[in-house]
Amino acid sequence: MITLDKLSEFGADVKDGLIRCMNKEDFYLMLVNKALNDNRLSELEQQIYYKNYHSAFETAHTLKGMYSNLSLTPLTVPINEMTELLRNGTDTDYTALLEETKTQFRRLCEL
Amino acid sequence: MQELLERKQGLHRTVLIVDDEFIEREMLGAMLSGLYEIIYASNGMTALEIIKKKKKTLSLILLDFHMPVLDGYSLLKILRSDSELRSIPVIVLTSEKKAEVKSLQLGAADFISKPYEAPEVIQARVRHSIELFEDRIIIHDTERDELTGLFNKEFFFEYGKRLNNQNGNMPMDALVLDINRFHIINELFGRSYGDKVLKIIGQSIHELVRQTGGLACRSNSNCFGIYIPHMDNPKDHLPRFISMIEDNLDDRKISFRIGIYSDDGNALDMEQRFEHADLVCRKIKNSYTTCFDIYNAELHSKELHSERLINDMDTALSEKQFKLFYQPKYNISDSKPVLASVEALVRWYHPEYGIIPPAEFITLFEDNGLIRQLDNYVWNEAANQIKQWKDAGFNVPISVNVSRVDVFNPRLVEILSDITRSRGIDSENLLLEITESAYSDNAQQIISTVINLREKGFKIEMDDFGSGYSSLNMLCSLPIDALKLDMEFIRNICDNKKHLRLVEIMI
Repeated sequence: MITLDKLSEFGADVKDGLIRCMNKEDFYLMLVNKALNDNRLSELEQQIYYKNYHSAFETAHTLKGMYSNLSLTPLTVPINEMTELLRNGTDTDYTALLEETKTQFRRLCEL
Repeated sequence: MQELLERKQGLHRTVLIVDDEFIEREMLGAMLSGLYEIIYASNGMTALEIIKKKKKTLSLILLDFHMPVLDGYSLLKILRSDSELRSIPVIVLTSEKKAEVKSLQLGAADFISKPYEAPEVIQARVRHSIELFEDRIIIHDTERDELTGLFNKEFFFEYGKRLNNQNGNMPMDALVLDINRFHIINELFGRSYGDKVLKIIGQSIHELVRQTGGLACRSNSNCFGIYIPHMDNPKDHLPRFISMIEDNLDDRKISFRIGIYSDDGNALDMEQRFEHADLVCRKIKNSYTTCFDIYNAELHSKELHSERLINDMDTALSEKQFKLFYQPKYNISDSKPVLASVEALVRWYHPEYGIIPPAEFITLFEDNGLIRQLDNYVWNEAANQIKQWKDAGFNVPISVNVSRVDVFNPRLVEILSDITRSRGIDSENLLLEITESAYSDNAQQIISTVINLREKGFKIEMDDFGSGYSSLNMLCSLPIDALKLDMEFIRNICDNKKHLRLVEIMI
């Protein structure tokens, strides 16, 4: 079960995330759990695999908003980078960035 | 307006959050739910349906740009192009700098960046946007005439002054448009038709101001003020504007007139310009041939002079500045002319203007009703003179004028009887001259008054006969003692046999 302490250990800026949730811990944890159940990271992987960069940008942009509002910093860093590359339709190797995101997402799920 | 005021007092405000992302939607909702009623929509299409349903109660829309079905850009464009929905403020939610600029260009009230700032900041931005929106509506409703959408008079002059300051006192013309006999239109065709006329004229004025620049107001029930950049030749431009209104009205029963103050470089303030335009508008009030005219200094000077005379009248009466002169009337039926009576002629010895002939003030006083006071003064002075002559052993009747407005005074007989009775003079010595034109106003009324006066012993003379349109038939039915032929009429009898014959018949 995810707790604020575990999220801090994960590297999330819990204090920052809580402020956006009016310092309601339960509400914040509920939203983090929502993010954990979101499967759009897999969608993003597929879209990049098929080089559907326009859709990939939309997905990455959404994930970026979600992770950054929850202050899930370890996820925010790689997804931000991907979003900016995809915004310009950059045809590059996204493997490392995707792997980093997936790794951090797995870490979060394992908390 | 009432609904808005209640919402402004914090009784009820609703905010719509439009975002496809549950987490962001809920996060914003948590920040605002203690302050407002929150409604959520997960895409633009759903949001549009909600907005249309709740357009009267929505205080604000928080709108994400990236959404499925109908994105935020498209929704914002739809809202801005809809006259009923465009006034609801929209704050755009975005994480992109470019989108911030674009949203403001599209008419968004503000933007909130993602990731969200502290709740206090977001709450303040929301509150600020709602207040601006509500204040704008209140100001709009306060500054505008509800029927025509034009400014009301107070705001018109306020904004006009600002316009002058901002434009470095650019030459500006003032126009006053007044609908002729508007109360009759309301009475004959109903108030709703009158309102329709006002609206159409208001729309035409909106169109004029849109073309020329400037601003306009509905200054009272049937009068409009228009303040526009100076036209070089108003006489060339105005007919086009007048035609536009007439075409829009499509009703020849409705007529109006326009008084214009054309900027002549005299740097008058806005109020003075409109006073001048109004003066012209009033001047052509009864003209059937002129529907617009332009102010000129000569007219103004004449008007000022008239105003001065009106203002000075009370003092003139109390200081006896009006002097009576007596023009003798002789009976020439015998070989030697015999003094029969005199006619009182009034002159004004004004302390500043000197002797003012009656032509300058009689018509003026007739127009505003002051003539009753002057007539009363003359009757009393003439009665005093009759008394003085009587005391000196002379019996000389004096003719005095009874103006048209006096004839309709129900106390006329009583007033004149009191004047003669109080001085112990005979009523028949006060000869009452009633101008011919008065008889055609309301013949029945005047005949009745004249009969009453004659019963009290007064002699009645019809003045200026031949200058108006009296019929011979009317002459027979009028109970008068003397007919005073108009000078112009008499002047023609030497050259014109018809006139001569007519005079012979009448005599």
